[in-house]
Amino acid sequence: MSSLYANLKRRVDSVVNPSILSLESFASPILPTSSGGRGSLRPKFQYSRPVFLQLWTSDELRASADHNVRPIIVPRDIDVLPFQTGYAECVNSGKSEWNEDQAGFCRKVLSHPSEPFTELPYTYFGIFDGHAGVGAALAAANQFHHILHEKLVDIIEMLLPDSDNIPTEKKSMIFQYPLSFQKTVTKEELIIGALESAFAEMDAMLAEDRTKYRNAGGCTALVTLFIGGKMYVSNAGDSRAVLCQRKDGVAFPTPFSFDHTPDTERERLMTTGKLNPALMANDYVAMEYTKRPSKRDLGQRTLYKEGSMKGWAYKTLTPNDLKMPLVTGNGKRSRLLGTIGVTRGFGDHDLRALGSGILIKPFLSCHPEVISRDLTTVVSIPDENNEDGDYGVLIMATDGLWDVADPEAVSNTVFKTLDKYPTEKHRYTMVAQELVAKSRGRVNSSGHWRLADVEAAATVDDISVICIPVYQYYKQWVEWEKENQEKKRKHEEELQNRTESMSSVEIALDDTDEVALSDSLKETNLEETPDEKTTKENEDIPERTEEDTKEDTKPAKKKGKGKKGSSSSSSSTC
Amino acid sequence: MSYAYLFKYIIIGDTGVGKSCLLLQFTDKRFQPVHDLTIGVEFGARMITIDGKQIKLQIWDTAGQEAFRSITRSYYRGAAGALLVYDITRRETFNHLTTWLEDARQHSNSNMVIMLIGNKSDLDSRREVKKEEGEAFAREHGLVFMETSARTAANVEEAFINTAKEIYEKIQEGVFDINNEANGIKIGQQLPPTNSSISGSGNQGGQTNGGCC
Repeated sequence: MSSLYANLKRRVDSVVNPSILSLESFASPILPTSSGGRGSLRPKFQYSRPVFLQLWTSDELRASADHNVRPIIVPRDIDVLPFQTGYAECVNSGKSEWNEDQAGFCRKVLSHPSEPFTELPYTYFGIFDGHAGVGAALAAANQFHHILHEKLVDIIEMLLPDSDNIPTEKKSMIFQYPLSFQKTVTKEELIIGALESAFAEMDAMLAEDRTKYRNAGGCTALVTLFIGGKMYVSNAGDSRAVLCQRKDGVAFPTPFSFDHTPDTERERLMTTGKLNPALMANDYVAMEYTKRPSKRDLGQRTLYKEGSMKGWAYKTLTPNDLKMPLVTGNGKRSRLLGTIGVTRGFGDHDLRALGSGILIKPFLSCHPEVISRDLTTVVSIPDENNEDGDYGVLIMATDGLWDVADPEAVSNTVFKTLDKYPTEKHRYTMVAQELVAKSRGRVNSSGHWRLADVEAAATVDDISVICIPVYQYYKQWVEWEKENQEKKRKHEEELQNRTESMSSVEIALDDTDEVALSDSLKETNLEETPDEKTTKENEDIPERTEEDTKEDTKPAKKKGKGKKGSSSSSSSTC
Repeated sequence: MSYAYLFKYIIIGDTGVGKSCLLLQFTDKRFQPVHDLTIGVEFGARMITIDGKQIKLQIWDTAGQEAFRSITRSYYRGAAGALLVYDITRRETFNHLTTWLEDARQHSNSNMVIMLIGNKSDLDSRREVKKEEGEAFAREHGLVFMETSARTAANVEEAFINTAKEIYEKIQEGVFDINNEANGIKIGQQLPPTNSSISGSGNQGGQTNGGCC
């Protein structure tokens, strides 16, 4: 959080006091210049590599972006990433000055504002593949986790381990909807919603920044959240997450994301075009033909598709059909408006189509597809021969990896490498490094990058790979949960003891002391009805008041916390 | 600071011979007795002066472990100079020099200057490789030789600077194609002195981005 405030402060400072700008000026001569009309604006974040790589100096940044050699960079200190997670990256072969991929991670604990020992740790990993500049990916790597955290804080009361047991009257207080509108909402839906709304907010933030900072370009986003013993993979774009597992010694991949390209999203794009023809400004046609029509085909019948049609139908060709199709090409080579090959992600608010110059953003989406996996239902005991059990190893990587490696090959490499380094702490780093090395290949005598085993072309794109041993997360989560339960039990015992001893003391207190009087009244009331439920409520009251006052001293109050605060203060007046 | 030339170096040799420590001593003038295993590659940089010209050294410190060998091979390509390091207290690190040299010769450009370094000269009592042996190996293979100590800093400056001098001489002789960056030599930008911030090293810029946790 503090860095968010620091950034915010910097932004405010830079408006109030422009001399602050000099702070970042060292990087500006080597930063790519914007092609947009607002080239005079400064970038929001200066170019850097992911923080956990610890490449602090401009010399290190420069060396890491050596296009001739394409060094494979791994974290200097492998203990920075949780769960022994591995990471490796390498720069492109010269298509852009800097590595436009970015990555980030974050570990935090969500804690209940008023109930001690009701906490929930979570870990997030994100990978962002930038295009048309480094700005959007940098912003996402620096800011997305703050946005996600806010979203999780908003739903904290429903997420915490015990919230399943919240009595219905309390639940309705939380939702505050008329009864007829009430819906049963699961924790899973809340977390997916948090991810989805965080994606939307990140994109909106980039839109807002357009007037203040240099054109940021755009980026894809692949984010994995580990929370409450579950794994949520959210994707917008063409980076990919694949869970690699093995059964009886045979490796197999399970996709945990799907690429968003003009080809895979044809239906959504064509529907958008059909419903809003103005977005295509008379230059494009939202139809697909079995064969691209030419002038001499006019008046003839052809098979076509439009909008959300799944099948083909006949139509007579008119001059309108000769316009450029909204989506051209197939597979990885498909293009939207003849320009861009990825259809979801952040940014691109100023991106215009080649030729026609119309805005592309209305066709793009920042909405992620979220795929979750409940690790608590996995029945597997990892052993010496298979330390990852059925939990598997999650590989998150930008398209630089997948362009030349299919999921089967990747999962084979994962386990081959793990077998090679059975005990090393950095074995998952070795996996990430090996995957990057394979896709990067090596330079041949004429200066082209080639794959090692076959003479096929290697990727010339930036490559970034995160390799997460899922079982390591699950193990930590189970241990944490056990400890937390134990702490909670002890705390409740202590409270119980204190309540018993305090009530006998307070009865003896001076009657003129108002606070003590009301407190002692409470205690005596409870003494009279030593029913289990009321005792539990009583335990809550002193704690809430304490937390409530703590909250009030904080300058920025969270929505959820504020609400809780007001309800607890009313309860303390009894 | 602006520079006339940038030379790219690579440090190679068996694991534990002190490659990272040599780099740290040269760039930061300090010694770290316990150093983590280098995984992958690390970068260092320092400005030196030769013949009145500012020369920037960009140094790639590689992982010595066998497992990294194939990746390290791909880093020879863009280097103008190599420091091939062995440990004078461990005979096997000296015995492996031939393999290292073959690797370097095969994957680098033919003009790469190789400096042979016998490190840990401060541990003379535990010496297993005589200085004469190092000298003989260097003579036989046409290398420059030096014994250094990353701990006491003895000869560390000289090792890096003498390598640079050799490269500089080769440039003067016209041996290097300095217009091909893949040879590990870059001509500095002709910047006006006021705009000298381009290569400011030691800037902790990355940290200001905050990131997370």
